[in-house]
Amino acid sequence: MGLLDWLRNAAVGPPPALSPQEQEAALRRQADIMVSLRAGQVPSVVRERLEASRQGRLPWIATLTPAELLLARSHGIRPIGAVSATCWMHYGWSWTLGHSQGWEAALQRLRAEAVAAGANAVLDVKMRSIALGVENSMDFSLVGTAVRIDGLPPSPEPVIATVPALEFVKLIDADVVPTGIAIGAHYDWLNDWRGSTDLRWMGNIESGALTRHWEAVRRQAHARLRQSAQGQGNGVLAHVNFSQMFEFGERENQPRRYLARHIVVATVVDARRGVPVPHDIQMVVDLRDGISPLLNTTKHHQAYQQNDEDGPI
Amino acid sequence: MTNNLPAHAVERLKGLRSSVHSSGVFTSDFSVNEFLLVRKAGFEPIGLCVGTCVYHCGIQYANWRKSEEMTVLSKAMYHARELAMTRMRAEATAMGADGIVGVKLTIKRVEWDQNLLEFIALGTGVVHGEGHQGFRAHDGGPFTSDLSGQDFWTLLHAGYRPVEMVMGSCVYHVAHRGFMASMSTVGQNVELENFTSAMYEAREIAIERMQQEAAAAKAEGVVGVDMHEGNHGWQTHVIEFFAIGTAVLPIDQEIAPEKIQDPALVLSVNN
Repeated sequence: MGLLDWLRNAAVGPPPALSPQEQEAALRRQADIMVSLRAGQVPSVVRERLEASRQGRLPWIATLTPAELLLARSHGIRPIGAVSATCWMHYGWSWTLGHSQGWEAALQRLRAEAVAAGANAVLDVKMRSIALGVENSMDFSLVGTAVRIDGLPPSPEPVIATVPALEFVKLIDADVVPTGIAIGAHYDWLNDWRGSTDLRWMGNIESGALTRHWEAVRRQAHARLRQSAQGQGNGVLAHVNFSQMFEFGERENQPRRYLARHIVVATVVDARRGVPVPHDIQMVVDLRDGISPLLNTTKHHQAYQQNDEDGPI
Repeated sequence: MTNNLPAHAVERLKGLRSSVHSSGVFTSDFSVNEFLLVRKAGFEPIGLCVGTCVYHCGIQYANWRKSEEMTVLSKAMYHARELAMTRMRAEATAMGADGIVGVKLTIKRVEWDQNLLEFIALGTGVVHGEGHQGFRAHDGGPFTSDLSGQDFWTLLHAGYRPVEMVMGSCVYHVAHRGFMASMSTVGQNVELENFTSAMYEAREIAIERMQQEAAAAKAEGVVGVDMHEGNHGWQTHVIEFFAIGTAVLPIDQEIAPEKIQDPALVLSVNN
């Protein structure tokens, strides 16, 4: 409580306490959320809200801009409600793999909410996290808009599109479906027993040991990316390529060590090869000075811009 | 309303899995727009290609009073980039790509050693949808290009194809001015001619080298050239001039200028 709050409280008195019934309701709701998530289910509060939206008892909620709404409607896409999922992970033995676990858990929960909403797809899925730096942990959150397509039954496995509605429609028109998120993460240690990374007195020379180490880590991360995409589609558009290497000096009975880690985050697409892109492309030159609003797209991944602090592994 | 959506897309949105793709999974770092335009241009992405090189730069002390090229550092920058690019190209060859689009070349410094630099070349390997072999580089290997998917489409429609990403580098030491020289210009507006000419020379060397690479690739010209100066943790007065671009050749034969579609002029009122 800040000084200001204290003064205010002294003047008007403390905020009215919750009645015992309200307190109990809040506790019950929290317990329900925890139990549901543990069982891999959508919390009942969320389920009720989504069901009400789906039946039209509550207004729909969409993260779309008016322009996106226009395009969505012209393609028979109707918003149902905002869906979201969070998984707050503590990195026990691996920071790097924690990331892929965290996102995958959040993805599964988001999909469950979309099913509860009776959706065919979730658009405009943004990957979010807050840089709180609490005890080697990070929250992996996904927020998006569940939509249904006119005339289609609800899907048992809605697609999760990490692209805005505008791009979703562009892709669907070209017979490409953005279906989910794929993560490729890998880390590895290099123990330099023979001192091969010590190039202090050398001239121009490649550090072969470190290059090989890096290459192996990156290849493995990319291989995992493929693996993670395989169940969802046949290709990925990677947005985030994040890599870091650290050195740990010699210690007792331990050589100099290096840690390299690489994380790739991508949108999975299901595209058929050789299908032509239907729209003609018209070349235009914008006569505006400065940044053309035609080019204005919003960033959809900000998790890694804020969150590159170190953790164990 | 849904009848204007492609059938395959509708199936997927219903939650039905399409049959297993025989082609496996492709990886790319394209944006949605790039992805669509590369396909529109008749190419399909097949996989991310990466080349890495961690390089230890030798030490060279510059002559305080002299403007000169730091040959040791020039060679280091050249060699390390070359290694990273070659490895990326080898990955592309291994996956049977006709070329690499959207190559990003990054240099990172490491925290623990100021002489270590990490070079990363990353791009998306593509193949021509109909197996056309004519897009490969002069040596029959995959072409490389730092152009985005959008620029790639535009380049092809201008009647050119990318051949090779070419670069020129020159690490240069700009001479310090002597005490007497500094004193003699106190309170005056004068051009520091030796500084100016040093910048000229270094830039010229970098461009020349890039041009030579383009000639070796049997290209007609170089587009999208970017020239920048950088200092990768060296002493002050040491600058790297770096020129990079994509060497291009006409497709079969040059398209007559009047046949190239004129772009429409628009004034966006979105904002």
